[in-house]
Amino acid sequence: MRRAIVATEEATLAWIAGLANERLVDFPQTGPAGGLRFARTSPDDRLTFADYRPTVLPPGKTFAPANEVLFTFAHQADGSFRATPIIDRRPRVLAGVRPCDLAAIALMDHVNRDGDHPDPHYLARREATTIVAYRCSKPCSDRCFCAAVGSLDSDEGADILLTPVDDALLAEARTPTGEALMADLDGTPVDDPAPLVARHRAARPQPFGRQLPGSPDDLPAALERSWSSPLWETHTARCLSCGTCNLVCPTCYCFDTHDEVDLADPNEGHRCRDWDSCMLPEFAVVADGHDFRPTVASRQRHRVKRKFEYLQQKFDSRPFCVGCGRCGAQCTADIDIFDIASDVLKQHGGTP
Amino acid sequence: MKPKIAFFDFASCEGCQLAILNVEDALLDLLERVDIVEFREALSEKAPRYDIAFIEGSIHREEDADRLRDIRARSRVLVALGACAAIGNVQARSNATAPAVNLARVYGEEARDRVQTDPDHWPLWAHTRVRPISDVVEVDYYLRGCPVVPAEFVKLVTALIAGSEPRFAREPVCTECKRAGNLCVFARGETCLGQVTWAGCGAICVTQGYRCDGCRGLLPGANLEAHRQILRDAGLDDATIDDRYDLFCSAQRQPQQRRGAGPGGHAR
Repeated sequence: MRRAIVATEEATLAWIAGLANERLVDFPQTGPAGGLRFARTSPDDRLTFADYRPTVLPPGKTFAPANEVLFTFAHQADGSFRATPIIDRRPRVLAGVRPCDLAAIALMDHVNRDGDHPDPHYLARREATTIVAYRCSKPCSDRCFCAAVGSLDSDEGADILLTPVDDALLAEARTPTGEALMADLDGTPVDDPAPLVARHRAARPQPFGRQLPGSPDDLPAALERSWSSPLWETHTARCLSCGTCNLVCPTCYCFDTHDEVDLADPNEGHRCRDWDSCMLPEFAVVADGHDFRPTVASRQRHRVKRKFEYLQQKFDSRPFCVGCGRCGAQCTADIDIFDIASDVLKQHGGTP
Repeated sequence: MKPKIAFFDFASCEGCQLAILNVEDALLDLLERVDIVEFREALSEKAPRYDIAFIEGSIHREEDADRLRDIRARSRVLVALGACAAIGNVQARSNATAPAVNLARVYGEEARDRVQTDPDHWPLWAHTRVRPISDVVEVDYYLRGCPVVPAEFVKLVTALIAGSEPRFAREPVCTECKRAGNLCVFARGETCLGQVTWAGCGAICVTQGYRCDGCRGLLPGANLEAHRQILRDAGLDDATIDDRYDLFCSAQRQPQQRRGAGPGGHAR
């Protein structure tokens, strides 16, 4: 059995801050214009687990950042072509990751490792990262519905799992990397963490966050039946097609690539990758101008089906929506995937 | 032979040309690759033909429109440089009132009366209407913003020299704002035009703690009806909302007046 200890919150936060002496450490902190973000810490930072609300961007996005250079290229004088991949293997600690985001990272690991096109850029960052997860005692916002989609108790992918119990934290090492990292955290050893985890769960509010009017297991079939439903128009009348819902989603991973050549020497350049968004009007436009999803409603339906039908079938997994609530919270038109999924279940659920 | 690049200014503050002079990192590389043949902010040479003409400023008088048509005829590629050329900018708001009223408001009634009795007194009286340059000539590329984003200028020139098609995403500022990890301006209890404004600025204003006022222009196809309702829900009245849109984009909101590109010109 791996090491498990009970430590004070103060000692744990000091330990996380101290990790920044030797490693890159990212932890939720308030950004310059407000809002929480996973940001690089320094050993002197005063970190806190209190007042957590969802970070603007989920932590898993750091494995494939918003804009990155995939490789540099050069046409050489002898006619040959050289491409040099840029792979980021810097060791890093991602601390304070909540269960919903952990569930999303597990899904993204699956997509990027086991999918049709393993992504070396994502995997290098992911493999160099140690994750310290933190279980939630209460819903992090009034948009939260992680329990309804089964991500509240996710622990896959955590190297260390922190569980608030009473006024202290149970710290469990889950991997050899986690075990090594935890060596510097002082606390009282625990032989059997299970009763403490049970106590943590018993102290959580019931129900935990928003509840769907049916089982998420019924959503793939209900979504199939909803294809021509007017609900897609009703839910998108106010949609601005701004892409925010995709860009803040922990399981949206679509991207676009383009080449930039150097001004000084057009024989050299680099290939860039940027996050894309299926809600943007030009996302599904192909050669000769044909648009597979010209209406907002068709794009919204596609997005929801990706989260609750297509991807879970493709990867034989849990739903790709982890219930973090970010898309609804950050939509200025107040379009919430929870409300859409609820209406799909109410109008098209039940036995076919 | 190196491509010949020229800069011309019409009604503007010339801030976009200054913004370009500030791309010091790229400027020397640029001068290796191109000949800058006209640039009033920096030199005074003249050339008969241009590979790329950058036009800064909006068009106010017919003689300006004629000068612009002449530049177009001598240019292989013509680029709108900044919000004045691209969308008419703040000065296009003057189109909403009669020139005489504007003249009196800015220079006093005495000036207005004197100009009206003595038209030669002041050449500015030839002012008719503020137009973005696309109302007069065909425009190949737009560098948006007040001022332009220097990196976009470098990107455009680099692509044109290399013979590739420059890529400017047709998406709203929200996309860049989210990629930057910013908390939404509305979540701070304020309002913003980012959802309906062309991206490309990197959401610099929101990232610096301000809001988007729309200087890059309204995105074609933006759901303005929904956006107006969102602004109303956030507590703005319709007059304030119109003012916010009109600050930079009034010419884009006056389609009925955007007819009549001059002879040889192309309205787009």
